[in-house]
Amino acid sequence: MTPPDGLAAQTAPAPSSAAPLLVAPPLRQAPPRGPIATLKKHTKIVRISLSERMTYRSDFLLGTILRFLPLVTTILLWKSIYESSGRSELAGFRYREMIAYLLLTHISRMFSSMPGLAAGIARDIREGTLKRYLIQPVDMIGYLLSSRVAHKVAYITMSFLPYMGLFVLCRRYFDGFPDALTMAAYAASLVLSFLVGFFFEASVGMVGFWFLEVTSLLYIVMTLNFFISGHMLPLDLLPQPWSAILKALPFQYMAYFPAVVFLRKITGWSLVLHLLLELTWAIVFMVLCRGLYRLGLKRYSAYGG
Amino acid sequence: MLATVAKYLRLLGHLARYTLNRELAFRGNFLVKVSVEVLWLGIMIAFYRTVFARTSNVAGWSEPDYFFFVGCYFTLNGLVETLFFENCNEFAELVRTGDLDFLLLRPIDEQFLVSLRRIDWGTAPNVLMGAALMIIALVQKGWEFDLVRVVTFFVTMACGTAIAYSFMLILTTFTVWMVRNQSLMEMWWMFSSLARYPKEIFSGRWAEPLGNFFTYIVPILVVSNVPSNVMVRVLDPYMVVLTIVAAVVLLWLSRRFFQYALRSYRSASS
Amino acid sequence: MAIIEAAGLTKTYRVFQKKEGVLAALRGLYKREYREVRAVDRISFAIEPGEMVAFLGPNGAGKTTTLKMLSGLIYPTSGEARVLDFVPWQRADLFRRQFSLVMGQKNQLWWDLPAADSFQLHREIYSIPQAEFAKTLGELTELLGVAKLTRQAVRELSLGERMKMELIAALLHGPRLLLLDEPTIGLDVVAQAAIQKCLRDYHSQRGVTMLLTSHYMRDVEALCDRVLVINRGGMVYDGPLAGIIEKFGESKLVKLQFEGPAPDDLGRFGQVVRREGPFADIRIERSRVSEILSAVLDRHALADVTVEDPPLEEIIAKVFEEARLDHDAA
Repeated sequence: MTPPDGLAAQTAPAPSSAAPLLVAPPLRQAPPRGPIATLKKHTKIVRISLSERMTYRSDFLLGTILRFLPLVTTILLWKSIYESSGRSELAGFRYREMIAYLLLTHISRMFSSMPGLAAGIARDIREGTLKRYLIQPVDMIGYLLSSRVAHKVAYITMSFLPYMGLFVLCRRYFDGFPDALTMAAYAASLVLSFLVGFFFEASVGMVGFWFLEVTSLLYIVMTLNFFISGHMLPLDLLPQPWSAILKALPFQYMAYFPAVVFLRKITGWSLVLHLLLELTWAIVFMVLCRGLYRLGLKRYSAYGG
Repeated sequence: MLATVAKYLRLLGHLARYTLNRELAFRGNFLVKVSVEVLWLGIMIAFYRTVFARTSNVAGWSEPDYFFFVGCYFTLNGLVETLFFENCNEFAELVRTGDLDFLLLRPIDEQFLVSLRRIDWGTAPNVLMGAALMIIALVQKGWEFDLVRVVTFFVTMACGTAIAYSFMLILTTFTVWMVRNQSLMEMWWMFSSLARYPKEIFSGRWAEPLGNFFTYIVPILVVSNVPSNVMVRVLDPYMVVLTIVAAVVLLWLSRRFFQYALRSYRSASS
Repeated sequence: MAIIEAAGLTKTYRVFQKKEGVLAALRGLYKREYREVRAVDRISFAIEPGEMVAFLGPNGAGKTTTLKMLSGLIYPTSGEARVLDFVPWQRADLFRRQFSLVMGQKNQLWWDLPAADSFQLHREIYSIPQAEFAKTLGELTELLGVAKLTRQAVRELSLGERMKMELIAALLHGPRLLLLDEPTIGLDVVAQAAIQKCLRDYHSQRGVTMLLTSHYMRDVEALCDRVLVINRGGMVYDGPLAGIIEKFGESKLVKLQFEGPAPDDLGRFGQVVRREGPFADIRIERSRVSEILSAVLDRHALADVTVEDPPLEEIIAKVFEEARLDHDAA
């Protein structure tokens, strides 16, 4: 019943499956030569995957058609909700804004979702392949981070065209692009959303040092996250005190926050404050992640790996 | 004839028992699965409660009616997932590795083996949870007992399950030709997203024909809509008949398609 | 009446060509290229009830494909076959009840269940009466020495034990025909021997007809009187095992042990296969064996001499080599 993990690709005929299939490249002695090399490699892999995909045409066709259906029903549902309510605005969102919001959360998720990150870390711990990070002069977290960055860049580049197509199709839900300043803030919120998402999931993965079945925990967390990140509906729609609570939690940065920045629901100093808050949370998770890693390593070596 | 049915039922009993043993052997995993399903139902309830705080009805469905619909959908989906989903998911793998051959060797109907090999007990509680939600919705509505409605409800639920199964089988069968394992789970979730909402949301110039298409030509909407309507709203005999006919036709069609695919598999493989 | 009759069985299938690059892939969306592979080429043979026959051939020769056709798993492209008096690919229920197909390294049993549960399922599937089932199961587990392991999950068993369970499952319903595809592949010598023994005993007790494919000459020598050799889809030889040695075994392997280190001029006698310390193995034409032996004895002091047929593998390989040359010439 739970929606599949690659939710970021829900609305676009993008080769989303290519993303989770990318395996971390084998470790080299020196730290990877910057994100450019890994970027190139990932781009190549993604391009090959795309080409592979198109080779299996019925596969491609069917997948493309089916990807549109949930979007259609979501739009129709909200149309009905607005019509039945008899109001033009719900929690400050007009109908068009609501649809725009839901589309934008997919963009946010594209940045903040980290398929396979926690599971990969947990697996490395469980299977002992973690050792290579101890032996070789590579920082695990740093390595994973740059790997993810490259992966994301490649993925976003590949998804760019289909998503553009989608947004052109749905352009009547948008009031065009916001001003440059808002766009800059939006871009910043997306980058920070990536960092929050990364360090959060990495931290969950680090729990694997203590808790073997951390993937189960992850499964539960991610299901919950689907709702509390605002992916299903804007957090403003929830009754108090829930709305306030969820807007104070960091999960909103994974879907809700960038979307409302784009829609200019938060502006001025409030916006600046929230961006700083987002940054703070990113740092908090980063510290948590590193701390858990260090503690975990001690424990790990103590057990002989 | 009766002996054959009895045999298949016994076989199903064995399979159910063995898979339950296996599931309980991994108790932690089982509990996690169930927790996630409970969470998911919780999320759906939270979503709709939020919506209904701002409107008295959605597409003409009042809150208790809509919640009945949600419970009905949850139960139905739970049934399909428990009985068929894991098996259909594995089918592509069976084709790819050639292990499908072993199923073909048995003197047992292949569709039975492919569809019912494993029972996913992890999603079985969904049926109960959905039922509980339905009952709560009925109480909230102040629903009056009506035997005709109840009987028709069960009939249309069974038909709805059959229709959903047929679609799942058709989607699964496609994987015989698809060389790569397109995730059935993804495909199914997208397809079933159609059945997740009342038909009435398909209103408007371009939506209504779409809604009709998915009711009369590819009757996926019928699956949860008709049983819910039957129970809490309008019992439309035409729709009931449509559902039953659709179930029969689709079961037959999906079976033929499946067998055709098997023939093709057997011609192409080596 | 023959239990298996194959006439002109042929199987060809298409392999789609994948070209490189995105542009080619785009083109592939509406037009696909393929080439035809002839896996089995007009094979004909007949097997009588009670025979134990081996199918030999290199990888990709078409052995497994032939077996699958005889089991009804795949349709032939052309040709006919009758197995147990049925047309196999029509897959009649009654047909499927009377034979078994066992594939080495592939698991037909339910993976997470104990073998005993799989056997129960089998009993239900094949409608075996309870008494008969219990008796057969007892006999087989005894024969293979796995009685204590049936309650363990199949995935926890070693490869050898798993194979034994597979065999039991295949024999539970008392099939008249047993088809085996590389049954002992990947097993250690002990397990191989156990399975060979089981098959032999079962054959002598119940007269089951067996057709097995194998790479291991030991299997073939232990079990089969008759051999069908296939190469590149075509039948190359059909007859008794000894006949292969006679027909194709042109040379003998002479193993010498010298009193001192083996001399290095043995090459003029024949092909030196091995030379280590005092030992030397030379391949010599049959007809010249005695002549060369005396020549060696004249020149050197020998501690030990044996004259062997070269390993069957070599003979078979030679058969394939010849067949390929013929095939290419044809």
